[in-house]
Amino acid sequence: MIDIVSQISVGLSIASILLLIALGLAIIYGTMGVINLAHGEFVMLGAYAVWFLQTYLGIGLLAGLILVFILIGLVGWVVERSLIRHLYNRPLDTILATWGVGVILQQGVRLAAGAELRYVKMPDILTNPVTFLGYDESAYRIFIFVVAVALLLVTYILVFRTEFGLQLRAITQNRDIARCFGVNAGRIYSLTFAYGAGLAGLAGALVSPLKSVSPDMGTNYVVDAFLVVVAGGVQSLLGTVASSYLIGQASGVLAFLSDDTMAKAIVFLSVVVLIRLFPQGLFAMRVRRS
Amino acid sequence: MRGNGRIKRTLLGYIVFCIAILIVPIFISDAYLLNKFARYLVFGLLSVALSLSWGYAGILNLGQAVSFGLGSYCMAMALKLRTIPIQTGAGGLPDFMVWNNVQTLPWFWEPFHSYAFALFAGIAVPVAVAFLIGWFIFRARVSGVYVAIITLAMLVVINLLIIDQQRFTGGFNGITDLTTFELFGVQFDAYSTALYYLAAIILSLTLLLGFAFINSKTGLILQAIRDDETRVWYFGYDVANYQNFIFCVSAAVAGVAGMLYTLVMEFASPTFLAVPISLSIVIWCAVGGRASLVGAALGAIVVTGVQGSLSDTQAFLDTWMLIMGALFIVIVLFLPNGLISMLELIWRKKRPLQGSASARLVASRASRTGQATGHRAVSSR
Repeated sequence: MIDIVSQISVGLSIASILLLIALGLAIIYGTMGVINLAHGEFVMLGAYAVWFLQTYLGIGLLAGLILVFILIGLVGWVVERSLIRHLYNRPLDTILATWGVGVILQQGVRLAAGAELRYVKMPDILTNPVTFLGYDESAYRIFIFVVAVALLLVTYILVFRTEFGLQLRAITQNRDIARCFGVNAGRIYSLTFAYGAGLAGLAGALVSPLKSVSPDMGTNYVVDAFLVVVAGGVQSLLGTVASSYLIGQASGVLAFLSDDTMAKAIVFLSVVVLIRLFPQGLFAMRVRRS
Repeated sequence: MRGNGRIKRTLLGYIVFCIAILIVPIFISDAYLLNKFARYLVFGLLSVALSLSWGYAGILNLGQAVSFGLGSYCMAMALKLRTIPIQTGAGGLPDFMVWNNVQTLPWFWEPFHSYAFALFAGIAVPVAVAFLIGWFIFRARVSGVYVAIITLAMLVVINLLIIDQQRFTGGFNGITDLTTFELFGVQFDAYSTALYYLAAIILSLTLLLGFAFINSKTGLILQAIRDDETRVWYFGYDVANYQNFIFCVSAAVAGVAGMLYTLVMEFASPTFLAVPISLSIVIWCAVGGRASLVGAALGAIVVTGVQGSLSDTQAFLDTWMLIMGALFIVIVLFLPNGLISMLELIWRKKRPLQGSASARLVASRASRTGQATGHRAVSSR
């Protein structure tokens, strides 16, 4: 019994990190159709931003979160304005361009901050484990879980309950018609991209105390996140949530049965098989394609 | 198509390139430099492999390094088994296996006692892996973006597995301390002229055969698939088979490049099939010109050549990658067909009467509707 509960909580913990990282990607990919291979680098930038704030300005992780979100969002905004904007009718080339952006960000950080591993301190109030239903649970992991759920809610409200979200969904369904109705597609796109990048930055900030921070940390995350998004079904927030949960639990169980590497390999292969069987993902939303 | 004149002109370019790389050893006798050049040629070959699948069939394979690495490991395994100072007696086990307490040589290492098998495996293993992946994805009519994601995921998985199975693959260190490759009495030492010629001849042959292939009927169908997959289905061709075929051909070429790379570098390492090298291949290909085999080869040679000639320090390499990233973006934005397409532009400017007004009109109308013009333009879907 203890095993099952602790196993589920390990899975939940992996799932919440996956969700944090995949959420931004899902928004960008789902609505703009842009494959952002620089997403991992946005995560990395978020982690470095926290490290920088903590080491040089003495701002703790919790206090810095908003700042990180704004900073990385700004980076995303600049990238969209200067680059992605010119490639909307060449989706395959956005892969290349964003990969290039990833290289630049990664090398830039490596030159500026050095290639060595950096460590971020966990907030003091969250270092002690809390007892929950008789089980000891890391407070920080619970915190991540809560933040992931909260961000999901914020994103849901943003997309489905605001004017911005309405315009965003209109563009997703049919950009040309939406523009005819006076929606400023360019503005919505850059804001969406900035929001997605900001989410990635937050994800990076939140995972930084759990893992070491290095310039090439993003590469792993971006592949994970893409598999989550693709498996869940593009343009479906629910799908992203469900597939983060499934993949998180599967990773937890498999890692328990064998080791982390095998778990990752098996999960990746299963997701590839899944994409083969359900090319639209598990939770495909019926959207008219333009 | 602009007829035979264009093809002849292009073929001439290919031949000039082949002669140029073949006469290099006449002017350079420095063994260290020759080894460097051989390395550039291997990268050129690797870039040609990607050009075949990406530039000519629209399959953006972000995991091209899988084939490269597998070929490299096949060669390294054969050479390792022949290394004279093997650390221990029992069955001539490679040293890293002894360190990992492996008692007997694993079954899949056994056949590598034979060079013939190793050379065969260096092509067959990458092709088999590519065939499985290709069969898997193209049958489902997965295309475009998904191919890129799946191949990237496969690259990460295979890289993880090779590092994880340290007992059989040498893990992070890879397979080192290799003997010199010998075939038909010729020693292919890493710093020998013989190895340079081997690389140059293989690259030349691949370019010329590849050129014949892309102008064959199959080659034209592949280009048609690149430009509009659905239409080719409607014409009654089995697009999936064609895609898988070129995917395998590309893997075979990359496998050969991998084998050569082991000879040039004198080791095999999991970094050969890691994400950075896969990224580099895409960059070379894009910079040189993805829809031109010789362009792709030149792209690789120029990029790695400039990098190698400037400096080898780590700080420089980091800055260099930064510059490459920027150059890559600029090329993707403004010159989708790479530097080689500049040659074409210059040629056209010199002979403005070449393309008649009507041809240009057709071309512009075709590009507006998303079709490609001739076989130079690259569909971006």
